[in-house]
Amino acid sequence: MRLPERQLAVLEAASATDGRTIDEIATETGLKPETVVGAAFDLRDEGLCSVAERTAETVDLTDEGRRYVADGLPETRLYRAGLALDADEAPVSMGRVIGEAALDGPEVDIALSNFARKGFGSIDSGELRVAPDADPDADPEASVLAALADGDDPAVDEAVLDRLDSRGLVDRAESVTRSVTLTDDGVDALMGGVAATETVSELTPELLATGEWRDVEFAEYNVEADAPGVSGGRKHVLRRTADRVKDVLVGMGFQEMEGPHADSDFWINDCLFMPQDHPARTHWDRFALDVEPMEGIPDELMARVEAAHRDGWGLDGDGYHSPWSEEFAREVALRGHTTSLSMRYLSGIAGAELDPPQRYFSVEKVYRNDTLDPTHLLEFFQIEGWVMAEDLSVRDLMGTFEEFYRQFGITDIRFKPHYNPYTEPSFELFGEHPETGEEIEIGNSGVFREEVTGPLGVDCDVMAWGLALERLAMLTTGAEDIRDLHGTLADIDFLRNAEVSY
Amino acid sequence: MPVVDLDTDELRGLTGRTDTSDEEFKQDLFGLGLEFEGETDDGLLQFEFAPDRLDRLSVEGVARSLRYHYGDDRGVYVPETNDSEWTIEVDESVPDERPYVTGAVIRGVDLDEGALESLIQLQEKLHATMGRGRAKGAIGIHDLAMVKGAPLQEGSEPSITYRGVEPDGDTFVPLDANNELTPDAVLAEHDTGRTYADLVEGLDRYPAIYDELGLFSFPPVINGKRTEVTTGSRELFVELTGTDQWTIDRMCNIICYALSARGATIEAVEVSYADGATAPSEYGAELVRPNFDVDEKAVSHDRIETLLGVDFEREEVVDCFERAGLDASYTLDEDVTYEVAIPPYRVDVLHPLDLVDDVGRAYGFDELEPRYPDVGTVGGRHERSRLEDAVRTSLVGLGFEDLLNFHMTSGPENYDRMNVEPGTGGAAVAEADADSGARPALAGAGIVGGGAPVEITEPYSEEYTQLRTWALPSLVMLLERNTHNAYPQDVAEVGFVAERDDAESTNVAERRHVAGAVARRDASYEAAKGRLQAVCDDFGAELATPRIEHPTFIDGRTAAVEIDGERVGVIGELHPAVLVEHDLEVPVAAFEFDLDALR
Repeated sequence: MRLPERQLAVLEAASATDGRTIDEIATETGLKPETVVGAAFDLRDEGLCSVAERTAETVDLTDEGRRYVADGLPETRLYRAGLALDADEAPVSMGRVIGEAALDGPEVDIALSNFARKGFGSIDSGELRVAPDADPDADPEASVLAALADGDDPAVDEAVLDRLDSRGLVDRAESVTRSVTLTDDGVDALMGGVAATETVSELTPELLATGEWRDVEFAEYNVEADAPGVSGGRKHVLRRTADRVKDVLVGMGFQEMEGPHADSDFWINDCLFMPQDHPARTHWDRFALDVEPMEGIPDELMARVEAAHRDGWGLDGDGYHSPWSEEFAREVALRGHTTSLSMRYLSGIAGAELDPPQRYFSVEKVYRNDTLDPTHLLEFFQIEGWVMAEDLSVRDLMGTFEEFYRQFGITDIRFKPHYNPYTEPSFELFGEHPETGEEIEIGNSGVFREEVTGPLGVDCDVMAWGLALERLAMLTTGAEDIRDLHGTLADIDFLRNAEVSY
Repeated sequence: MPVVDLDTDELRGLTGRTDTSDEEFKQDLFGLGLEFEGETDDGLLQFEFAPDRLDRLSVEGVARSLRYHYGDDRGVYVPETNDSEWTIEVDESVPDERPYVTGAVIRGVDLDEGALESLIQLQEKLHATMGRGRAKGAIGIHDLAMVKGAPLQEGSEPSITYRGVEPDGDTFVPLDANNELTPDAVLAEHDTGRTYADLVEGLDRYPAIYDELGLFSFPPVINGKRTEVTTGSRELFVELTGTDQWTIDRMCNIICYALSARGATIEAVEVSYADGATAPSEYGAELVRPNFDVDEKAVSHDRIETLLGVDFEREEVVDCFERAGLDASYTLDEDVTYEVAIPPYRVDVLHPLDLVDDVGRAYGFDELEPRYPDVGTVGGRHERSRLEDAVRTSLVGLGFEDLLNFHMTSGPENYDRMNVEPGTGGAAVAEADADSGARPALAGAGIVGGGAPVEITEPYSEEYTQLRTWALPSLVMLLERNTHNAYPQDVAEVGFVAERDDAESTNVAERRHVAGAVARRDASYEAAKGRLQAVCDDFGAELATPRIEHPTFIDGRTAAVEIDGERVGVIGELHPAVLVEHDLEVPVAAFEFDLDALR
């Protein structure tokens, strides 16, 4: 019969009469003990040997214990030093005795506490006296330590071992000793002759090319063991959330927009019918940039937007009673929302003039002057979307957003009537957190006012909505601090370990 | 968003709904768009709402809205106004920067502590919202009994005068003070004066209101103590000054409506702009205020139906208007159009669409059944966004951790710590070809990352003062933050960078850069170049790396990234000085180039 090399070695080392321990076989065969165990169990499973297990307690000296075997227990050294100073006759100051005993650091406390316990003497008012009749040579603790050091079986008083254990001088451990004995089948097999099959650790190109792989046995691995970690690259969690949003929107027939991050206030705010003295347009809320004013805004468009602000739009329209200047409109700032892109597309300046129906979206960065905290960043992504069609109604708006949020497991959307300068009617969208069940704000929406669409040359309805991507991402990744995700403060470990969303 | 503090006992009194509980009010107010926020120390309930219905900034206004909501009131209500006795003369000395004034006289006032509190609150909230922090409109309310109006001529009406005062001119005792102060002294010494000093800063003359006895109010800063309103006041003089007549007139209306709701009588005031006054208002030089004229706007039945997506009976629409506090009549033509009357406390109706919203709210938006719009369009991604994404996929495949860094940074991070000087790269050094006028790719011109910064005009944080001109500093900052984490740390970003560029309409050149950094014990030029080659191969782009010098990198281990013959970036081993500056203890090799090169 053929057996793998290591099984054969174990079989040959085992005896039919005496149980041989794993360690003995390991020494004899030169195999690692764990290899011997594996082979022995394999042989047992084939009925060639039996494996007996015995549980035994082993007691080993700790480093400290070994040191005391060499130097003597601290209390014994204290006793002997006392004797040397004649402390059996008259008390001697403790400091002198400790000095004589050359005790140091924690050994001093150890010596003092055990000295008294063992009746080696007494300590009173800082003076030490040794008991003349004490006999440290008969100290069972010392003798057990010595016996252990000699490798003798500590067939000793349990109480002494417990004491040594509590002093941290010995380690007690349970160990299983396995011994292997040949079965009759094992003996028969050996008699009949056993040859070794070759075991290889790696499947090499040579083995494959020569066909030798047919005759070899592959060394077994511990397939349950952990392997060394591998960190591959992965897409940023927030990008993945953005991808998901884009997928959903493309699936719903939306085209993606793009455009400048630094833009004129005209596109960012004036087109949106935000009065120039609106609180959000003060320097506290926007990031104005130190560049020259923007050129290249069509004059007619500028004039129409100004007219809407000053006089309103349509027969019965009223303007804002707010100052308006072209100079301010041309100032360049970082966009506070991506609705500036919507304005550019609706005006036709971003490409072709658009005829209804159209659906457009973007998932792009916006900039807000806010306090940096766990839920607010100075830069974040805004999901922006709009639908242009003849005669859109509030019901269409509700249906579109219900469909969008349903894709993310958010149902039962509530539409709370709201006010925005650029939409009417306007709604804040609330939804239930898929896990906590809390009602959370998940967007702002509405139908663009005619003061917005009119000057842009759009004469049908446009409904729009916006939402912070980070809000969705926090829902889907469970991140509690947005700064873990976004920016140079990010923790690379967090990014590596964030659960993949899809 | 504005917040109104409400005493629910007052609300019960003003609505006549004595049995309504606080909880029921909360529910009903939520329906009106007022969201419960919490309680004040004095036990008032605080409600937040969107800044359109500023007539709801007081308990009186909220009570009025509730009465409409309950159906206890219907249609437009306009209080009676008695004929004027008083005149506000506008002198030509009024500062040009604050030309307008309006006002009203209120008689038969009976203010208890709560009502006085409410009035003061309304005043403050109006200042904060419509008044734009008192700059656009400021309200002064005075005890009329303490105002002495000397007729200018025999037989004419009593008057007060809105005029200018020299900053160190006449004195008066302001509220919360005990001594006579000049206007300048008020701005320098009085707490309220200091708070609002910037509103009149730099004016030659300050706005002031005089009566026969002299200066008694210094708008928009502070009133005089002489005319202070107390619970004992029975007659009030309300004056408002500002930069826009319409705005202060509406603010005045909201105040008058609130006092009228408490049983006071409104009496008109004449406003008379002197010939030489800078800007007689758009409504003429002689005004009678408050202006309770009812606006009218027309809205078609069809528009209401299409926008709300509901088929309405005409009477149903009229009913909704009336429950919104509006009046509506319609003609029985084929195209039904409603003539809608809008009360003078409304400041939010700029367009007929706003009336459709009122119908929607009165009808109940909750009642609307969502439907998916039956409109077919084709979806798709933008080409640039697909390219970015494809490059990210390549980088991730090569083992890079994809990063998402801030676009805003600071000069020290973007330049100094990378050993780069601003203005040494990009548009600042790119020279257009003499013949064709075409410029080279900005990303590869001069020192990569050395473009001139686009700076934030008034930054609040030293950490965010400009847009980044390149992405590598962000990557290195991230490595700096992560020295406690395991290596290798291979990181990459496809992201936004920007620099000053007069050739752009916005004067800002915006690009996307591809940056990758390999941080590990064995990081080398070769490691970076191998990965860069792989990315270029993915996109069928031809890569060359001629040797250059760049202060961020080690000389002799630095090259330009040339893709398809154009210089678009840099690659190399980071200079030890840059590594040490970022507390890095492993070598880093990196590259950065313009995404467009892979197109």
